[in-house]
Amino acid sequence: MSDMNQNNISEIESTPELRNEDTLEFTTFFYNDHLFGLPIDEVIEINRALDVTPVPLAPDYVAGVVNLRGQILTAINLAKRLGLKKEAQKEQEISHNNVITGNREEPISLLVQRIGDVISVPKSQIEPPPDTIAGVDRSFVKFVCKLPRNLLMVLDREALENPEKAG
Amino acid sequence: MSMEDEILKDFLAEAKENLEQLDQDFVELEQDPENGELIKSIFRTVHTIKGTAGFFGFTTLEGIAHFSEDILSKVRDGLVRVDEEITTILLQSVDYIKAILASLEQSGKEPDDIEYLDFIVELRNFAEKLTKEKDEDKPKEQSSPEETKNAEPETAEDDKVVQSEQETTKQEAESGESKEDKSSKTETAKEEPVKAESKKDKAPTTKPKLKKPAAPTAHLTETHVRVDVHLLDKLMNLAGELVLSRNRLVQIATQLSDPELITANQRMSLVVTDLQEQIMKTRMQPIGNVFNKFPRIVRDLSRGAKKQVQLRIEGAETELDRSIIEVIKDPLTHMVRNSIDHGIESPEIRIQKDKPAIGTLVMRAYHEGGQVIIEIQDDGAGIDPEKVKAKAIEKGVITPEQAATISDREALMLIFQPGFSTAEQVTNISGRGVGMDVVKTNIEKLGGTVELNSEKGLGTTVRIKIPLTLAIIPALIVRSGGQRYAIPQVNLVELVRLSTEAMEKNVQVIGNSEFYRLRGQILPLIRLNRVLKCEECDDKESSSSGLNIVVLNSGDRQFGLVVDAINDSEEIVVKPLGQHLKHINCYAGTTLMGDGRVALILDVVGIASTLNLRAEDSKRQTTLVSDKLSGEDERQFLLLFTIAEDEYFALPLALVNRLDKVSIADIEIVGGKEVIQFRGHSMPVIRLENYLPISPLPEQDHYHLIIFHMNEKDIAFLVSRIDDSLDTSVEVEDEAFKQEGILGSAILKDRTTLFLDVFNIIQIYDPDFFVVPKVATAHQARILVAEDSSFYRNLLSSYLEAAGYEVVTAEDGQAALEILEKEDFDLLITDIEMPRMNGFELTKAIRSNDKFKDMPIIAVTSLSGEEDRRRGVQAGVNDYQPKLDRDQVLNAVQNLLGSTEMQQAA
Repeated sequence: MSDMNQNNISEIESTPELRNEDTLEFTTFFYNDHLFGLPIDEVIEINRALDVTPVPLAPDYVAGVVNLRGQILTAINLAKRLGLKKEAQKEQEISHNNVITGNREEPISLLVQRIGDVISVPKSQIEPPPDTIAGVDRSFVKFVCKLPRNLLMVLDREALENPEKAG
Repeated sequence: MSMEDEILKDFLAEAKENLEQLDQDFVELEQDPENGELIKSIFRTVHTIKGTAGFFGFTTLEGIAHFSEDILSKVRDGLVRVDEEITTILLQSVDYIKAILASLEQSGKEPDDIEYLDFIVELRNFAEKLTKEKDEDKPKEQSSPEETKNAEPETAEDDKVVQSEQETTKQEAESGESKEDKSSKTETAKEEPVKAESKKDKAPTTKPKLKKPAAPTAHLTETHVRVDVHLLDKLMNLAGELVLSRNRLVQIATQLSDPELITANQRMSLVVTDLQEQIMKTRMQPIGNVFNKFPRIVRDLSRGAKKQVQLRIEGAETELDRSIIEVIKDPLTHMVRNSIDHGIESPEIRIQKDKPAIGTLVMRAYHEGGQVIIEIQDDGAGIDPEKVKAKAIEKGVITPEQAATISDREALMLIFQPGFSTAEQVTNISGRGVGMDVVKTNIEKLGGTVELNSEKGLGTTVRIKIPLTLAIIPALIVRSGGQRYAIPQVNLVELVRLSTEAMEKNVQVIGNSEFYRLRGQILPLIRLNRVLKCEECDDKESSSSGLNIVVLNSGDRQFGLVVDAINDSEEIVVKPLGQHLKHINCYAGTTLMGDGRVALILDVVGIASTLNLRAEDSKRQTTLVSDKLSGEDERQFLLLFTIAEDEYFALPLALVNRLDKVSIADIEIVGGKEVIQFRGHSMPVIRLENYLPISPLPEQDHYHLIIFHMNEKDIAFLVSRIDDSLDTSVEVEDEAFKQEGILGSAILKDRTTLFLDVFNIIQIYDPDFFVVPKVATAHQARILVAEDSSFYRNLLSSYLEAAGYEVVTAEDGQAALEILEKEDFDLLITDIEMPRMNGFELTKAIRSNDKFKDMPIIAVTSLSGEEDRRRGVQAGVNDYQPKLDRDQVLNAVQNLLGSTEMQQAA
């Protein structure tokens, strides 16, 4: 992936007039000060009206299951999955913002605190994540992107979906 | 091009169907070689394949079909008789045709393999050989002028057909690339005239008939439409969604209580239910679709094993879900293989054993209680438990010591252990690396069960129970910890609601486990809240107002699931769990409720396993006991308690009526004996140290009471602490501590534990306690007790002697029979599972001996299964009782002795 970025970067440098086409769009959402994003084409929908049914005995990061028009999805407590600080988790428990993502066969629902805007980011600003990110499990972060006000962390959907990965 | 594809698709679909039919037809033909209709039907099928293959230019396929047709035409015309050789080669060609079709379906091309051409040559030679034989056999017939004349017009037509066919083949051969193809084609061409000739012979008589039956086939296709399976699955899903939407509407309608809405809703409800049923039906297929493959399989297998087997199929029309049909095919094949390979004996042996030379294999399917039962039954040698044991020891599945203790029935179940095969030699039929364990796992995955019954020398029956469908199931909705859960109705036995009062009386808390006494049976209770680890959400309200127990059946054991509330039963659509949740074995899936929220479906077997885990935990601690893989029959719940520190005691939980606590101040002394007030009576309490050589009860403010209810009276033991309960098999050593009031000892949880003889102790305390005025028989009745476990033997004789009978004991059926030969007895009480000779065998032996064939027999067991009861009655047992239920056993003894006395008097 990083190789591809390198290519993209060189492309942008050589043809600055195509800059608009060389941006990526991200759906963003917040956790306190943290800003997360998923590529817009990986997000199926955002839904604020899904009831979460808790599943006892489930892994800690699973908030429960939700019903999306007859399909039953696993709802992931993003804060717990990413290992965020306690305060953030508490607030999150009240929120019911479902970001539905994943493959069409078995999507998952991410419970987030607050939904942000869709933002466009030039590809040139997308970088691999640094070795450590304060307060976030790095293995779920695919790229980072420095924005004027804060850092956008692009999540790794496949890692989030993979039950083998410890939360 | 696409049109040709379309035609090819139709051809393949039709050909496949026809070939399935062919397999069966050939086998039938072998048994009924004179069946002209059958031959014609086969001939037609092969002919169609040949024609279509020619049309598409599939030369190999055409070649095989052609020569098969050639052979068939001779059969049809009565020139040769169908024998095994012919059937075999024809079946082989069917297999080749199938392989070619499969390849066509995949790649659109015929397989490019020399093997097929070799087979064509073999087939051709065979056909030629038949022609020669025919020529030698029937030269006269051919020369008969009359027949030839009659045949002429038909033949001319035939020849034309052949001519045109030949032309197409030639074209194909020319366009064909491989030389070999060409050569085989030329051979085909050479062969044609021979075929035409052979057709001439009897063509006049058979031809007109041949055309008639073709009509109904054409008619049939109009009423049936081929539907893509995926489309059906999708419809099924949509129907499921519709059911959910309907459920939601019903709820809203009830809330609004608008009569018009309710009426409209009810109507829609009916339609939806009907629609759902109809769509379900589209998924249902007769099990015959699988069964029909077996005549061929059985034939091939029995030939391979040099055995003669006749297959009988019953209930082929029984319908079940398509998805299930697919999954059961392999397990069934495996079991049929086993039956033929290991079960049915070779003809010589069968004749020696006075059985018909031809073995019978029955495949039977029928509906029973919302489930489908499939039985595979053979009349072969049956399974020898001893052989199974030996094999199990050899394979390291069990140790020789274990083998000595397990019953025959358990030995049979060892077959389902991984890595097991009883065949003395691994033949090419079975022993393919798939064991019965795979069969069992596959069936269990479907929510089904497998049972095995076998009588040595008489045969084996395997019984499979599977649900009708997996997609929509009836379920009971319960509530626990504020959430709803669905329990599949299949596992449901009954619902019990206990008032606070009844709960206090009948639910015992021992250690961490709870038990409920349900009609004399000990039912372990599981609290759903605890299993799901949400005890903090334990509903205070519900626990104060009694208990809701859902009695569930998880394969071999029952347990009670305690839930907060029981809602309703509903048809639910099973939806799978996501991959983050799949591993949790307490859930079988999820479903949507009428209000659109999700409910989890409980996996009853998974929940039961949490109970087993607990039982196993304690089993692990029982060093001595756990080493024995002892019979389920002998397993029981024990109550463990202490009187003074470091002295441990046990008694069977089933004897205990209830447990209670008493304050020292409540114990009164009446007439030199200690009593307490209990249920409005004064109940005697026994201090065990007065009757047993043990340390005295230490001074405590409160004591625990173990209360017994026997002979219409209550009596209690005073103990300092109730430790635990243990579900275990007992192996009591009766030598070390044998004395009055003690049955023996065993090591439980690493501690030497004394087993108390409750009856004996009570009798020492009050010799009149068990005296029932009614037992005033003229002479003291003599009872023989056959029981292999010394613990139970002592227990039984203890309470029988207490009731005034003279008791003699025997260690097993064989010993009992020997004693019976020497002495006279009025009655026999026998255990079922015993080494050397079990209770059923003993009963049969007694019933067939003139000396004591009328002796009353009571069979006792620690579990009373209906199946055992039935077998007992069949064997000739007069009564059947749980061995720990003293009052019932004594009643039965009295009744039987009374009736025999009356008979003697009369």
